[in-house]
Amino acid sequence: MLISINWIRSFVDLPKDIDPRDLAERFTRTTAEVDALEPIHIDARGLIVARVLGVDELAESRNLRCATLDVGNGRTVETVTAAPVIRVDANVVYAPQGASVKTLGTINEAKVAGKTSVGMILPGEAIGIAEATQDAIFPGNNLEAGSPLAPELFEDWVMEVDNKSITNRPDLWGHYGVAREIAAIYGLPLKPYPVVSMDELSNPASPEIEIAIADADACPRYSALLVAGVATQPAPLWMQLRLGHVGQRPISGLVDLTNYIMADLGQPMHAFDADKVDRIEVARAKDAERFTTLDGMERHLTTADLMIQSGGRSVALAGVMGGLESEVAESTVTLLLESANFNPATIRKTAGRLGLRTDASARFEKSLDPAHTVLAIQRFIELARPMYSNLVLKSRLSDEFAKTSQPVTVSVNPKHVARTIGHELPTSEIVNILKPLGFTVTEKDAELSIAVPSYRATGDVSIEVDVIEELARFVGYNTIEPVMPRVSVRRFEPNAVHELEQRTLAYFTRVHALHEIHGYCWYDATWCRQLGVDPEQGVELANPASAGLQWMRRSMMPSMFAALVRNRFYFPEVKMIELGSVFEYARPQDQQFRNVGLLSAQRGKRAEHNLYNELKGSVAGWAWEHFGQSVTFSRAATDPHAIWQHPTQTAAIRLGDVDVGIVSVVDLALRRRMDEHLGAWSIAFAELRLDQLATMGRRIESLESIPEFPRVDLDFSILVSKTRAYAEVVDALTAIEHPLLQRISFVSDFEGDAIGADRRSLTFRTVVGANDRTLVDGDAGAFRTAMEQHLTTAGFEIRR
Amino acid sequence: MTIDELNKTIASIEADVAARLPDVATVDALRGMETGVIGKSGSLGALIASIKEYPPEQRGAVGQAVNKAKVRVQALVKQRLDELESADESAEAGRSSTFDTSLPGSLFPMGSVHPVTAVQWEIERAFERLGFTVEAGPEMETEYNNFEALNIPADHPARDMQDTFWLKSGMVMRTHTSPVQHRSMLKFGAPLRVIAPGRCFRYETVDASHETTFHQVEGLLIDRDISIPNLIAMAKMLLAEVMQREVELRVRPGFFPFVEPGIEIDMNCQICGGGGCATCKRSGWIEILPAGMVHPNVLRAGGIDTDIYSGFAFGVGLTRLAMMKYQIRDIRVLNAGDLRALVSPRRLSGPILERGTSSTACGGGD
Repeated sequence: MLISINWIRSFVDLPKDIDPRDLAERFTRTTAEVDALEPIHIDARGLIVARVLGVDELAESRNLRCATLDVGNGRTVETVTAAPVIRVDANVVYAPQGASVKTLGTINEAKVAGKTSVGMILPGEAIGIAEATQDAIFPGNNLEAGSPLAPELFEDWVMEVDNKSITNRPDLWGHYGVAREIAAIYGLPLKPYPVVSMDELSNPASPEIEIAIADADACPRYSALLVAGVATQPAPLWMQLRLGHVGQRPISGLVDLTNYIMADLGQPMHAFDADKVDRIEVARAKDAERFTTLDGMERHLTTADLMIQSGGRSVALAGVMGGLESEVAESTVTLLLESANFNPATIRKTAGRLGLRTDASARFEKSLDPAHTVLAIQRFIELARPMYSNLVLKSRLSDEFAKTSQPVTVSVNPKHVARTIGHELPTSEIVNILKPLGFTVTEKDAELSIAVPSYRATGDVSIEVDVIEELARFVGYNTIEPVMPRVSVRRFEPNAVHELEQRTLAYFTRVHALHEIHGYCWYDATWCRQLGVDPEQGVELANPASAGLQWMRRSMMPSMFAALVRNRFYFPEVKMIELGSVFEYARPQDQQFRNVGLLSAQRGKRAEHNLYNELKGSVAGWAWEHFGQSVTFSRAATDPHAIWQHPTQTAAIRLGDVDVGIVSVVDLALRRRMDEHLGAWSIAFAELRLDQLATMGRRIESLESIPEFPRVDLDFSILVSKTRAYAEVVDALTAIEHPLLQRISFVSDFEGDAIGADRRSLTFRTVVGANDRTLVDGDAGAFRTAMEQHLTTAGFEIRR
Repeated sequence: MTIDELNKTIASIEADVAARLPDVATVDALRGMETGVIGKSGSLGALIASIKEYPPEQRGAVGQAVNKAKVRVQALVKQRLDELESADESAEAGRSSTFDTSLPGSLFPMGSVHPVTAVQWEIERAFERLGFTVEAGPEMETEYNNFEALNIPADHPARDMQDTFWLKSGMVMRTHTSPVQHRSMLKFGAPLRVIAPGRCFRYETVDASHETTFHQVEGLLIDRDISIPNLIAMAKMLLAEVMQREVELRVRPGFFPFVEPGIEIDMNCQICGGGGCATCKRSGWIEILPAGMVHPNVLRAGGIDTDIYSGFAFGVGLTRLAMMKYQIRDIRVLNAGDLRALVSPRRLSGPILERGTSSTACGGGD
C-alpha cells in the first residue's frame, strides 16, 4: 500500500517542515511497518499547459509524430513526441524551451527526425507518474493554454506500508484512515471527510433504483446512484499525479475518479452503463455459468460466486471485476454507480479460485465498513462536480442495507489495561488516546464502555484486548520498562525425542568429529534419478517450490550424497551428520519420522571398511552412551527404495529387539553416478531412526568393585572361513559355561597370507579369575583347555 | 671411637657427600662416588665393619646410626642420578629434533554443529535456566493446528501472510512453530513455560534473504498477570544471550491473528551496526522477534481458563538470528551443505596464522 504524504496533507494540516522520515518512523512505531519511503522529486521548472492543435505523422519515423501546440499568448510551436496517443484539442503537460525537470534536464530546441522540435510534451514518467511511462499526460481542458504549472504540484513523498501488517486494518487501505492515524500520532485535528450532503442525493422527486439482494450475508449493503453528464474527459492533473504517486496509471476521468476514491477511502466502486444496467440484483452465479470480465477473459463460475445481475443477466463478478458487456463506453450517457459491501470470505474465495486478485477484492476481503458505501457516493459527487459542469443526478441515492450491522461496544476494565501494559493508565489518558481514533469512551461503574467506530468494528476491534492494543501502541511500546515475569514453578515431562535428537547431535559432532549440515526435506527428483533412485513414492506436495521438488524425502541419504559432491573438491575427507524429518505415505494419514544420517568419506579407494568400522564403533558408543546397551549388527534385508545401500555389505543395527537403522558402504557404480571423481573415494554411511528409541530410556550401568583376587587375560584366536560371520563365532563362544570365566571381549579380525586366502582369524580376550580365592597353578591352563575343547567341539579351529 | 665421635664422623661423611654431589657430572662418576662412600671399604662402609668393635649393648645403636646414614646417602645419590639421567634424556631429544616451544599442537579433529543448531542450543540453555521446557512438534501439521487453533480461520486474509506448502493429503508443512503453542497447552495446561525450536516452511521464492525452509523458536509463557513488559524483558534477555551483548531493540505494533496486542521486536542490524545495509533493507533494523499477548481465542482453543491466566508468545527467527550472529549474508548457504560456509576454518584446518601474533593463536573458533 503506497501512501502519498501530499494526499495525507489534504486531511491533516501537518507542519510544512515535517520530516517525512520522522513521520514514517513514528508511523512504524505506532501503527504499521513502513517498508520504504521515497521522495518524488521532479524539480519542475517552467512547465506549462499546451493545447494540441494538430498531429502529423513523420515520414522518417514510425514511432515519432509532430504535434502543433498552442502554448499561450497566441504562440504556436511544433514539437516531436514519442507519446503513443496525442489527442487533438486536448491539453498536455509541456516543457517549453529552457524549462526543466530533474530526469531530463533542461529542454532545448532540437532536430528530431528531420524536424525542428521545440520544447517537449512531457511523458508521465518524467513528472512522477511512473506507470504512465511514455504516455503524455492530459490535464483536462479547464486550464488556458500557456498556464504555468506550479512546481510544488509535482513534489511529494511516498511511503510504502507493508500490506501484511495492515491485513486486520481495512481502514488503513485508504488515505483518510491513514490520515486519522497520523493526526492521532501528531496530536493534530483530522479534517472532516469532504463529501456532499445527503440532502443533495436524497431528492424524493428523483426515481429510486431497484436493488434486490438475495443473500444478505454475502452482500449486506448495496448503494447506487444514476449520474449523467459525465463526459469522457480527463481527471484534474493533481488527481492524476496523486494516483501516479501511489502507483496507478491515469486512464480516464471516470476510472481515475473511482480509483481515487478507492485509494482515498478504501471503498471500491464500479460504474455500469445505465442503458445496459438499470436495476440491480445480487445473487449467486448459476452452476457452470460463463461470464466475461472487463479484461476480456471468460470465467467459469460456480454457485459459490456472488454476481451482480440486472434483469437476471450477470453484469459483474461481485467485489472482483465488472463485466465486459456492461462496461462504460464513449457512447454511455448515464452511469449506474455501484458502491457495495460484500462478505469478505465470499469475495476471497472467488478471487482465489479464479486467480483474479484485484485492488477491489483485496479490500473487500479485509471486511470493509458498510457505512462507506454511501460515503463513497457522497465523495464521488463531491469530486465529480468540479470536473463535470453538466453533471446531473438521474436518481436518488438508492441504498439497500440488507443486513445492518450492530454497533460494537467493548467493555474495558482499567485493571486489565494496567495488567497488560504494566502500569495504570488514568481514564483521561485513555480518552485522549481513543478519541482521535474515533472511539467514544463512557465511564460505567469500574469499567469503561467503549463504542467502536464503524470503520474499526468489522472484526478488527471486538474484544477488550483489541482496545488494550490501541492503548498500548499509543502509550508507546518503546516507553515500556521491561520487567521479568513472576511465575509458578512446576515440572514438565521432557520431550524424549527432542532430547535424544540433541544428545545424538552432540555425541556425533564431538566424539566422531562429524559436521552437521541441513538439507531440504523434499527430494530433488533430478538428483534421485541420476542416482538411480525412484523419488516418486511417498508423500507428495500439492504445490512444490518447483517441478521435481514435490516428493518428500524418505531418507536423509540422497541429499547428503549431494552435499558430499559439493564438498569433495575442497576436502580430502568429509564427515557429515544431518538430523531431520522423513516422510512415508500411509493411510489414513501420512507418517513422519526423525532420522539421523551419518556420512564418512575420504579420498582414496579401499578405505571404506575402515570408515565402515569406525561408523559402527561410533554408533555402538552412541547406543551405549544413551541407552546403556550394546547394539548388534547383522546382514540387512535389501530395501527396494534405498538402492544406495550396498547389496551385501549393509548391516542392520539393532538395540535389543528394536531396529535402529543401517550402516553401509557405497559401491563404485553408485559413487560414479554421484560424481566421476568419487569413483576414487571411499564412502561409508549410516542412517538411524530415533522415534522408537526415544522412549526406551537408559539402562543404569552399575559399576564393578575392584576384584579382590587377581585375574588373568587369556586370548583365543579362532580360524574361520571368510564366509562365516562374527556373530556365529560369538554365539558359539558365549555358549561356554565355566566357573572361572568373568567376561569375553573382541580384540581383532585378521586376514593374511599366514592363514590362507580363504580364512580369517578372530581374536577374543577372556578374563579369568575367581571371586573367592587366588588362582592356583593349573587354573589358567585348565581354563584354556576347556575353552579350546569347547570351540573344537563347536567346529572351530584354534590358531596357535 | 666413642658413640659421639662416631656420630660426628657420620655427619661429616654426609656433609662431604652433599657438598661433592653437585660437582658429579656423569652417572659413572656418581656410581664411583657412591661405592667410595657406602661400598665395603668406603668411608661409611668401613664403619659398618667396625660395629663388632663396640660392646654388645652399644652395637644396636651404632648399627642403626650407620644404616640410617647409609639410607640418607643413597637417597642423595638417587636424587642426583635422576637429575643426571633426565638431563641426558633431554640432551638426547635435543639432538634428534629442534625443540620449539612456539610450534602449534597437533591438529585434533573437531566436529561442528550447524550455525542454526549452535544458536538453538544457546537459546535452549538460556530458557532452561528460567524453568522453560523444550518441546517439538511435527513439521507436517494438520491445517487445524497450523491455522484454526491459532485464530486463523479459512478464507481469512491472514492466510496470505504465510504462503503455505500443502501436501496432497490436505496436511500442511507448518508455516511457523506456533502450532506447538497449541500442542503444549493441550499437553501441559497452565501455568506453562515452553520454547519450541524447529523447522518451518513457506512457499517463497528463494533469494539471498528468503528461504522455503528456515528455523524458528517459539516461546510461550502462561501464568497469572503476565504483561507486555514481561514479554519485552524476555526478548531482551534472549537476544543479549545469543549475541553475547546488550542489543538495541525497537518495539512496534505487528499483526498476527494469534496474539493481541501483537508486536514486532526489531534488533539493531548486527551486520552494519544500524547504519543501513542490504541485509536490513537500509533501515538499520532487523525484524527478529514477532510476539504478543496470546489471543484469548488461542488460549481457549488450548483449554486454558482465560479468567485466571494470560500469557505471551513469541517466534524468534532462529535462522535470521544465526545469520546475524555469524555474519552470514546469504541465507541459501544454510541448506546447501557446503562445509566451507558452515564450519569455521579453524575447525577444519587448525590454527589460522594471524599478523602480529608472535605465538600462534590457537583457534577455539566456533
